Amino acid sequence: MFLLLEEIVKNYDGLRALNRVSLQVRKGTVKGLMGPNGAGKTTLFHLISGMERPDSGRIQFKGKEITGLRTHEIARIGVGRTFQTIQIFGNMTVVENVLTGMHLRIKGGLLSSGFYPPWIKRGEEEAMKEAKEILELFGLFGRWKWFASQLSYGEQKRLEMARALSARPELLLLDEPAAGLTYPEAKQVAETLSRLKETGLTLFLIEHHMGMVMEIADEVAVLNNGQLIAEGPPDVVKRDPRVIEAYLLKK
Amino acid sequence: MVDQVHKEFRKRDLLYSVALWLLSLIIPDPQLHYRREYRFRKRDLFYLLSILLIPLVWSDLHFHHLMVLAGIHGILALGLTLFMGYAGQISLGHAAFFGIGAYTTAILTTRYGVPSFLAFWTSALTASFFAFLIGRPILKLKGYFLALATLGFGEIFLVLVRESSGLTGGVIGIFNIPFFSIAGFMFDTYLKQYYLIWGVLIGLVFFLKNLVRSKMGRAFLAVASSEDGASSVGIDVARIKLGAFVIGAAFAGLAGSLFASVMSTANPEIFSLNLSVLIVMMVILGGMGNLYGPIAAAIFLTFMIDGLSRYQEYSLPVYGVILILLLIFFPDGIGTRLRVRLIYLISYWGRKRRREKVEF
Repeated sequence: MFLLLEEIVKNYDGLRALNRVSLQVRKGTVKGLMGPNGAGKTTLFHLISGMERPDSGRIQFKGKEITGLRTHEIARIGVGRTFQTIQIFGNMTVVENVLTGMHLRIKGGLLSSGFYPPWIKRGEEEAMKEAKEILELFGLFGRWKWFASQLSYGEQKRLEMARALSARPELLLLDEPAAGLTYPEAKQVAETLSRLKETGLTLFLIEHHMGMVMEIADEVAVLNNGQLIAEGPPDVVKRDPRVIEAYLLKK
Repeated sequence: MVDQVHKEFRKRDLLYSVALWLLSLIIPDPQLHYRREYRFRKRDLFYLLSILLIPLVWSDLHFHHLMVLAGIHGILALGLTLFMGYAGQISLGHAAFFGIGAYTTAILTTRYGVPSFLAFWTSALTASFFAFLIGRPILKLKGYFLALATLGFGEIFLVLVRESSGLTGGVIGIFNIPFFSIAGFMFDTYLKQYYLIWGVLIGLVFFLKNLVRSKMGRAFLAVASSEDGASSVGIDVARIKLGAFVIGAAFAGLAGSLFASVMSTANPEIFSLNLSVLIVMMVILGGMGNLYGPIAAAIFLTFMIDGLSRYQEYSLPVYGVILILLLIFFPDGIGTRLRVRLIYLISYWGRKRRREKVEF
């Protein structure tokens, strides 16, 4: 199994954010994670990417236990992510943001970078070329010299996705990639995601846009109050009475 | 009305643009560190030539001495700007590493007769070793807590040096440290020392320029901007902070070694809290994430302290007022703000005259 979560429990001072959640993501598929506000979706992503630790339960990625690892170690194994509140580097240019995403693949240490020998120069130049190609893919090439903080909200979201992808992850966690975007921008994001799906990348996304999830997700899981209430193909989940109840708060 | 204002062209505008062009040759480009390109510009040549020629043109011994001090302060500020300006952390104990460097050189050269060139590099290694030991636990702290922890470290080190008089000579310190010498060439006059120190400083600037444009420089900026974002792409935040801290300490160690072998004395007074605060001030005035700014601020502050030392009793209030004024008018630092200000002022004079002409 590609990504496997078993009986995950997470408490915040007496509030049970996640209650024995078990999930699976198969390689090369797109999984959607849905649920009303405060259901524990982002908490789940934090646990997978190592920003927080579960109180009990196990997380496995590619058959390896990653439960206690730190974020950068999990990123090294091949889990990339984007954030609900954008976490781009506003003090750098757009292309430097993408280059930072390629951090692990560029050679150089603290001392060797300072002396800048030819092999580091070559590596930097190659990385620059690749970064510009990635920017072209995301329609940000015209802005490569801009400051990341000067971009619009939608562009920043795309830049964050570009940065996550430039690290060449095998699993990409997307925390609300279309939240706050205008309709055409959201459509563009959906197109990008389906293109990524075709390349064989495994996606795990939190999303509220029903239409978008139905369109690209192979499977959907629904959380409510920290509990997994439904899992399965989008068409089936959509008609699940418990899901409808959770979303409409029907008594 | 507005169109009329802009269409109007006068000889004065030509003068303004020539003035701007001249300024752009001299004054640091506020955008320079954003592009982080590595091109040798005209203004770099200007800086190099002026560093080379100034002591020859202005051959005043006191001036040479001050420039030597300014160079040492500049090396200190360069080290701290990596940690503060790029990696976005704060350290109020940077002077301790300066002290470690100074004492390493002092002890090695006076007690064991080690050549000063070897002691120079050993000082950097010792300072970075201490920084590594201390940095591991305290760099987990953030913001004010980190400031307080580094402050505490600086004070503890000061007390240790004062009390262990067997090794460090206590409050009196160590005297008669031999001058810096390479292959029999002794740096015994202020002029020679000036070239030694500014030569080292230029070398370190090249090192930092390389570091900043490489993947490590980007990692520093990434950590300063968003630790979550940085770790999500595989950057080990703790290691990057430690790296910046250790390199900053190594620079301070070099500066301390140079100080000891130039002033031929090392005592606890040279690395008190005052120096730590002074370095932080240089970095803030020079501008965050900027390499030339801290050096300019180091020169400026060294001369300011010297100028104020004549009015000993008033020096602190005057010092304070000047710093407040600077922080009001140059909140982003001199390096980043000066050019913007000047451009604004020049264009403002032009606009004001024209506005008066049109409206009345």
